[in-house]
Amino acid sequence: MSQLMIRHYKKFLAIMFFSLGLNAQVKLTVNTIPKKVNVKLDGVILGESPIINERISPGIHKFEIIKKGFAPLNYELVVNPAQAVHLDFFMNPIYSVKFKTEETGLVFEINDEHQWSEDFIRLNLEAGDHSLRVFKLGEIIDEQIIHVDEPKKFIYYLKKPISEE
Amino acid sequence: MQKFKKYFLFIFLGILYGNNMNLRPTFLVLNHFDRKLSTADAALKENFTNSIFEFDSTFYLLFDNIDEYENPASSYMNTIKDLGEKHKVNFVLFNQIKHDDDRFMLEGQMFNTRSGGLIYRRKIDLTNYLNGQINELNLWVGNVTGNIEKEWQKNRESILFKNPENIVQEKTPLGAAMRSLIFPGWGQAYSGKKVSPRVWAGTESALSLAVLFNFLKYEEATKNYLANLKLYNETDDEKEVERFRNQAESDWDEHKMFSELAIAFAGATGTGWVANSIHAWIVGPRSFKNLYQKWDPQLPDTTG
Repeated sequence: MSQLMIRHYKKFLAIMFFSLGLNAQVKLTVNTIPKKVNVKLDGVILGESPIINERISPGIHKFEIIKKGFAPLNYELVVNPAQAVHLDFFMNPIYSVKFKTEETGLVFEINDEHQWSEDFIRLNLEAGDHSLRVFKLGEIIDEQIIHVDEPKKFIYYLKKPISEE
Repeated sequence: MQKFKKYFLFIFLGILYGNNMNLRPTFLVLNHFDRKLSTADAALKENFTNSIFEFDSTFYLLFDNIDEYENPASSYMNTIKDLGEKHKVNFVLFNQIKHDDDRFMLEGQMFNTRSGGLIYRRKIDLTNYLNGQINELNLWVGNVTGNIEKEWQKNRESILFKNPENIVQEKTPLGAAMRSLIFPGWGQAYSGKKVSPRVWAGTESALSLAVLFNFLKYEEATKNYLANLKLYNETDDEKEVERFRNQAESDWDEHKMFSELAIAFAGATGTGWVANSIHAWIVGPRSFKNLYQKWDPQLPDTTG
């Protein structure tokens, strides 16, 4: 018997590791809002959410959640050797936003990165709060937070009309 | 024999009843909330009748540092086993809620008292919403007991930004265009405009009346022409021939003129009708927000 084991030790070790690996795996459930979202685990497509009773080994894993019209999610997770891991991902939609001004000579900057000087532009912005800065002749003249909660048009004015004050 | 029958029936019912009781898992719930949630215990009992809950608010140990252990799942093995024996429960459910401004973090851990190991864990970090803590607690416990109500999921979804495809605007430019196609100016009025609905309705009404007037005149001229033509053909009197001929020629000219006018006004009405619908779409209700400069215009700094 022992001779047989020694002769086929590679196969034996492979079976041992495979069975140990199976035992060490953790049950994985992934839910997303919205549903039917592509879920990638460590670069491999797991399928569309909800993902129920998949298996995952303990250790560091990287999740990528992708859906058109929503901001992609990248999430690193250290999986502890528990019985099950249940993950809920809430995806943030991207809304089409128009930005217009009738003022002249203004430069706008959003989230410290995107700048424009056109009086009308279209932007794709993630839902939520964004910081807007306004410059005139190189000087910052305004700074405020804009809340994007649906596809909408923003119209920027330097002065509030008397009727709205 | 009769005694034995009763004895067996008693044992059978006892086993049946006993098994039914065992089907309901028993939980020891350890709630650690940084703010008072007085309805939490009652909500669990009410919503999860398929489980039996026992609460111990005096338990002081927190399980929030399990990640510091080499093997987190078995880090509190002995404590959990002791709790299981003491309270005679299948599972220990540890729920911790911490608030941070307008957010709250819920950490749920479920331990099996037989092995002492961690079998489920859930961490959630959410913007606070109406009854959010109780709702999230229900979702977490519902997940481990296999009983999640759709209402709880809907409650949670209520705080999330809407899917762009699911956003339904109460009023739309297309709705305005369709209304104006049915009746000129209706779409503009639907969009809240005050002057343009009157202008469009007035213009289109005037053009339509002009079409109607010219059409009626055209019909009248046609009838007159045919009548005078008939009289002209029937008479031999020279004077009458002359009169009917002149009248028929005049009717012919009128019928031609009114026909051309009716066609021109009908074209203008149709073009205007379509233009009014396009205008309604252009000025149609769209979501917008006016942003005004928040900073006061600054004076030059002369302080040196």
